[in-house]
Amino acid sequence: MYVYIYDNFLRQKNFLPIIHAMEVILTDYGIAGKILRLQNYTDSKAIIEDEIKRGAKTIVIVGNDATFGQILSRSATCNCTFGFLPVGPNNTIAEVLGIPVGVEACTVLSRRRKEFLDVGWMNNRYFVSQLKVMPSKLEVVYDERFKVTAAEKMEVIVCNLQPFFWTRDKKDKEQRVIHPQDGKLEAFIRPLTKSGWWGYKYEEPSIFPFEEMIITGREPFSVEADGKMSKEIKVKIKLAHSKVEMIVGRDRKF
Amino acid sequence: MIFQRHSPKVVEENEELDVSNQSHPDVQDEVETVVGPSVNVEGDFASEGNIIVKGTVSGSVFTSKHLSVEMGAKIIANVRAGSATIAGEVKGNMKVKESLELTSTSKVIGDIDVKNLKIESGAILYGKITMPGVESSEKSIKTKTFKKSDDAAPLFG
Repeated sequence: MYVYIYDNFLRQKNFLPIIHAMEVILTDYGIAGKILRLQNYTDSKAIIEDEIKRGAKTIVIVGNDATFGQILSRSATCNCTFGFLPVGPNNTIAEVLGIPVGVEACTVLSRRRKEFLDVGWMNNRYFVSQLKVMPSKLEVVYDERFKVTAAEKMEVIVCNLQPFFWTRDKKDKEQRVIHPQDGKLEAFIRPLTKSGWWGYKYEEPSIFPFEEMIITGREPFSVEADGKMSKEIKVKIKLAHSKVEMIVGRDRKF
Repeated sequence: MIFQRHSPKVVEENEELDVSNQSHPDVQDEVETVVGPSVNVEGDFASEGNIIVKGTVSGSVFTSKHLSVEMGAKIIANVRAGSATIAGEVKGNMKVKESLELTSTSKVIGDIDVKNLKIESGAILYGKITMPGVESSEKSIKTKTFKKSDDAAPLFG
């Protein structure tokens, strides 16, 4: 049995036609199911566990990167298969998973090509897409083997499934993309360097693939994992292998 | 009906978006380890893939693939790599399995053990260079001379 979790933004009028078309195709394939709508304060884990008890085998996330991160960061441990129907803008994870944005995603879902995905683990919770540490004085230790520091403040971005987009500075219009690999987490470190009187500029990122990493700061620093902000003084990031069973496309990037 | 007319347009837009993402010129499929210009790395720095050093590394460096030390970068460490291109400064012994290239801006202080070596004019090098082919040929020459002397001994005796 399929259960579809729709993000709240899909209520907007401009998404109605595509949602309608998807529902028609899903009914044609015989995989239509119960529809749940995600609210701001919905605990996705509780809903999913409830639906699994009622016999749900596949949970399909309908929305964008934010929806994907919001649901899977809390319910990665649930014993079910996950599917993804990307709709609208901000869908970078879908490309990594080989799922086309829009109606064509229904075909990928119906084929049920399943893969186990790795999930990032931070202190005591999971993250699926990306973790970002805001610029601060940090010391990063990788796999208990080597230490990375910078003279000024630095920003750390850890990518699991979401690609990393970056530009050299505000004037640089050419956007650079780095696609993460599966099996390892990628950390992108961007130190800030002084430019001009009071301006700061990001440097080119340093890239380190890793399995375990400890970030410590002299002062508490802000961490954003799958859109959820928190203040930490020490963060331990690890890779949890093959945690989520996911329906993926043939053109996936791993 | 209105919805049905709109839906193909939305799909088309998304398709275009997909194509633009796929044809991005700067997409890097293979992520390498990169040490940025103002980043300091201390400890046993090891990677399974290629390493590009633009900053400072101290301790030891190991990769089974390619190591690239760019201009302005500094390595104070013993280095082991599959192959390497040096344009910066290296203080420490280097053991390179295949080929090592020292560009005109490079400065190497330490012993080098390598199979193929290419040095551009202007490169600064202080240390002993060992190549595996030389050792084996030296040994064979020595054994040949010993054999000859052994053969020759009974004649003179």
